[in-house]
Amino acid sequence: MSEEKKRRPEDDGQDFANAAWSIPSYLLSGMAIYGGAGWLLDRWLGTSALFPIGVVVGVALAVYLVYRKYGR
Amino acid sequence: MTKAATLLAAEEGYNPLLPHTYELVVGIFAFAVVAFFLIKVLVPRIQKTLAERTDAIEGGIKRAEEAQAEAQALQQQYRDRLAEARHEAARLREEAREQAAQIKAELREEAQAEARRLIEAAHAQIEADRQAAFASLRNEIGRLSTDLASRIVGESLEDEVRQRRTVDRFLDELENTAAVR
Amino acid sequence: MNALTVLAADTPGEFGAPTPESLFVFEPIIPGVAWFTKPVLLAILSSVIVLGFCWAAFAKPKIVPRGVQNVAEYGYMFVRDQVARPFLGKDADRWMGLLLTMFFLVLVWNLMGVVPFIQFPVASHIAFPVVLAVTIYILKVYLGVKHQGAIGYFKNMMFPPGLPKPIYFLLAPIEFLSNMIIAPFTHAVRLFANMFAGHMLLAFFSMVGFWFLFEKLTPLGAPIGVLGVVMTIVFTGFEMFIQFLQAFLFAMLAAMYIGGALHAEH
Repeated sequence: MSEEKKRRPEDDGQDFANAAWSIPSYLLSGMAIYGGAGWLLDRWLGTSALFPIGVVVGVALAVYLVYRKYGR
Repeated sequence: MTKAATLLAAEEGYNPLLPHTYELVVGIFAFAVVAFFLIKVLVPRIQKTLAERTDAIEGGIKRAEEAQAEAQALQQQYRDRLAEARHEAARLREEAREQAAQIKAELREEAQAEARRLIEAAHAQIEADRQAAFASLRNEIGRLSTDLASRIVGESLEDEVRQRRTVDRFLDELENTAAVR
Repeated sequence: MNALTVLAADTPGEFGAPTPESLFVFEPIIPGVAWFTKPVLLAILSSVIVLGFCWAAFAKPKIVPRGVQNVAEYGYMFVRDQVARPFLGKDADRWMGLLLTMFFLVLVWNLMGVVPFIQFPVASHIAFPVVLAVTIYILKVYLGVKHQGAIGYFKNMMFPPGLPKPIYFLLAPIEFLSNMIIAPFTHAVRLFANMFAGHMLLAFFSMVGFWFLFEKLTPLGAPIGVLGVVMTIVFTGFEMFIQFLQAFLFAMLAAMYIGGALHAEH
């Protein structure tokens, strides 16, 4: 994102590897956090739909994050 | 033995994700010792050696490049000198040729002039000789004629003026006859 | 010390697949010295091997390498060019000692799994990968705070620039969980799980071969036994590749985390 900074030769490889190793980690984190939040809300409110919704939202957010960070 | 271990594990419920404490401790030491020697001693040594090797290789390449550049410069110098020498030789040859032509022309001119001068001198000499001969001949002939005439006539022609006139007349006559003939 | 044969004898006349307990739980080698088990012995042995190898190669390095120095230099070059430089750039040389230690140590740990008569990958006991991963994790956080400041480090990590403002609120937890918990966890678990599964697989195939060719040789079972032996050989080769690959990946991730801590991601 900091275009004014001079790009070093190792940046390309770094970006690629960062993306490759971060994507599963981000997806897992998204699912865990928002799925977990949904699950807690389910327990509190006595509903059952919020956990799957939370998981989907978490994955969507993680994908969006990965796209913004490494997509371009 | 293994049976006992299996039973033991089965009792405790083996969970492969739970690290054993003593393995953690041994692992830390096993890692720390290796890391210490590699970081503090061995890797710096090999890095130093690699740097020296790079220097040696780069130095070698640099020396070779320098030698090559020098050789090329020298060759260029020789080539320049050779071209210069060739040029000089051609120039000298041309100059010599021009000089030779000039000398030849000058010599020819001089010789011709000399020849002309000699011829003219000869001509002048001949003319002078002829005049002298003619003058002396005229005197001689005059004297002979008078002598002859006086002897023939028997009288002396003392009178100078008359004598000369007679001689001249005689000579004119002679010339005229000669011209006619 | 062959767990497989003993296990096979447990239930006479019937083939049973090896269980994790039978493969990964060891009694002390010397009765009474509880901590001194086979994995511990192999871990110490691995350190001795790595240290001895590196000492033989690098203690008195020559400008023109010979013998063991050649081999070790090959490893050094590999780690430097494939692991350190792509992620650390000009800082690569400063971290070569640590990365080389990790690579060689993990490689030897893993290769213990295919050495005849030893046949146990040290990294399949999670304690050993955990030691290395935690070391890197502590180093990562320390370097991040040192180079980017305590606030800067977490700000750069959780609030990467260039995102719409409201989204930060939703994404920051994901970033935090991913970077601070999932990443170090998977760093250790990836290595452990690969070695664990590989060892199970090899044990299974070798047990099939042993059982059907030696314990209970029948005309019907013999081909299965032969297949087991063939698969054992094939998977031993495959395991060696995986063992090398995991050692490489472990060192590479270490370099990646260190590099990420030295310079903020962009």
